[in-house]
Amino acid sequence: MSILTLKNVSKQFGLAKIIRDVNLNIEQGEKHAIIGPNGAGKSTLFHLISGRYSVSSGEIHFKDKPIHNLDPFEITRRGLARSFQVTNIFPLLSVFENIRCALLWSTGYRYSFWQLLSKQKGLNEKTESVLEQIGLYERKDLPAGELAYAEQRALELGIAIASGAEMILLDEPVAGMSHSEAKAAVALIRKVTEGKTLVMVEHDMDIVFDLADKISVLVYGELIASDTPEKIRANPKVQEAYLGEVVTQETAENA
Amino acid sequence: MKKFIPWIGFAILLLVLPQVFTSILSISIFNQMAIAIIFALSYNMLLGQGGMLSFGHAVYFGLGGFMAVHAILMVEMEEIVIPTAFIPIVGGIFGLVAACFIGSFSTHKAGTVFAMISLGVGELIASSSLILVSFFGGEAGVTGDRTWGPELFGIDFTQDIHVYYLAAIWMFISVALMYLFTQTPAGRMANAVRDNPERAEFIGYSARRVRFISFIFAGFFAGIAGGLFAVNYEILTEENLNAATSGRVLLMAYIGGLGFFIGPVIGAIVLTLITSLLSNYTDLWILYLGIMFVLTVMFLPRGLTGFLMMHRAPWHLGKLQTLALPYTITAIPGMVFALSMLAMLELAHAHESFAFLGIPLDKESILCWIGLTVALVGSFLAVRFTLPSLRAAWVEANAIPQRITEDEQDASAGGVK
Repeated sequence: MSILTLKNVSKQFGLAKIIRDVNLNIEQGEKHAIIGPNGAGKSTLFHLISGRYSVSSGEIHFKDKPIHNLDPFEITRRGLARSFQVTNIFPLLSVFENIRCALLWSTGYRYSFWQLLSKQKGLNEKTESVLEQIGLYERKDLPAGELAYAEQRALELGIAIASGAEMILLDEPVAGMSHSEAKAAVALIRKVTEGKTLVMVEHDMDIVFDLADKISVLVYGELIASDTPEKIRANPKVQEAYLGEVVTQETAENA
Repeated sequence: MKKFIPWIGFAILLLVLPQVFTSILSISIFNQMAIAIIFALSYNMLLGQGGMLSFGHAVYFGLGGFMAVHAILMVEMEEIVIPTAFIPIVGGIFGLVAACFIGSFSTHKAGTVFAMISLGVGELIASSSLILVSFFGGEAGVTGDRTWGPELFGIDFTQDIHVYYLAAIWMFISVALMYLFTQTPAGRMANAVRDNPERAEFIGYSARRVRFISFIFAGFFAGIAGGLFAVNYEILTEENLNAATSGRVLLMAYIGGLGFFIGPVIGAIVLTLITSLLSNYTDLWILYLGIMFVLTVMFLPRGLTGFLMMHRAPWHLGKLQTLALPYTITAIPGMVFALSMLAMLELAHAHESFAFLGIPLDKESILCWIGLTVALVGSFLAVRFTLPSLRAAWVEANAIPQRITEDEQDASAGGVK
């Protein structure tokens, strides 16, 4: 069953067409990666799905309901969470508060001004368990802005997954990390997105082929292929347009 | 239980203060302080906690106050029956209604847009208050008589001390409620929206709705402060809702420290003291207030409270006393500098000779000017000279003694992963 469907989605800024007629189907439980060269419109596509931008034409359906004209918070409430390429946390709040805030809506507190947070035992326990999951429990009282970069990335991920969304969009989750940090981050992503639908944009091909069970290739705003990793590797159009010689060589070696 | 101790202490302080300072002047200053504290804290709900820079917060204070004074008048005319003790709630409700209306469009965006709308609305209300004479009373304002209200427990509000207890109770309740608000989901999300409105939307919250909630509560408490003002002074004029009053509450919150709940309270106390005491001695007090604000913005961006809080680390490390001497060494020329600056300003402003700290000063005497200049330049150089050692002492007082503990912490954190 497909959880997210994009039908002829286009986005233009002025005369510049950034996304052209994209059709995409993402199945429930799938781990889907979107790859493509710089400026291909991958992040724009994420912004369209998550409601940061409105679509110029076309439709986006999440769980069979249109979401393309909704505000980000309405889309999030339906169970579609996302992280950002540039770390996007609440810098002055403590790490603990960052996660707790991310949990508030999904646990039904809404805009309550008659409940004291310190008395919400269930909420606070849940917050601590998320903190343990992302390995930041020891850091929970620090202002989030003072965390190290890799820790901020982990927090970024934690905020996205805290709400328990069914579908998670990750925009370059390991960008700017060292090799060992990236490895830890991938393990973390695998752990926290278990049983959920994951769509990610990523440049690191090792990680893409490691995590994804389906890959879409976006070039100049057009989706030129969407298939399993093996078939993407073999696809001559993809090789020509994006992956270039590296993958061709790899395939040759593997064969 | 432990968290109730500051509140019990606060309540005791409120009860003890009028026993210690019994003069009419001090009671009247306390009343002003209580009003200012509620007002400044309500302002901080916007700026400090919600990230909304308002230049028109006096609107809700003033509208609440005018409504309260009208309520007092209606009680006087025997049209309605409200005990005077409950008049502030009339102000609060009217402030809330006004904030609901104005907030419905002004909280759409934070930042410059919000600031400009608040300025525009503030000017609009202030200038229409001079035109709509039936409600605002024109330049003369509206006056009432609080003593006509039905008595509660035999208190008829004929004396300022009665108003003091009323103001203290309302202030205590308002401060407690505003504190509790910061501990609720809506209050915490206000901080989140201040930090990063975009991300707040991606965790399911409408930044606009979050701001709106803070905004109407800020309007409510500003209205309570206005209502207390009406009870205390029995008069409201255009001055109470114009830009000057809006500016003053900004100064209070900023000088006190925006980042701390207690900050605006300290700011309100300090500014009320300056306004009511300093203004007895000099016409230039408003200039000094301005200088103080500029200095705070430049050197203490986290306000007076932030300055005090800076000393938490040395205190925890047990090195606070090492700072005493360097502070004194810099403070002495610093004081001389400030006083000679003060003397020069006063001298330039004065029409005749006067005594400053027992030293006779004469505007015509060139010797006076030379002496002050020497003191000014000399003390400035002395401050410059002592600053490096103060800075070194500060660094030393903040240094964590063993580096090993930090590494151990890292190691154990890594181990858990």
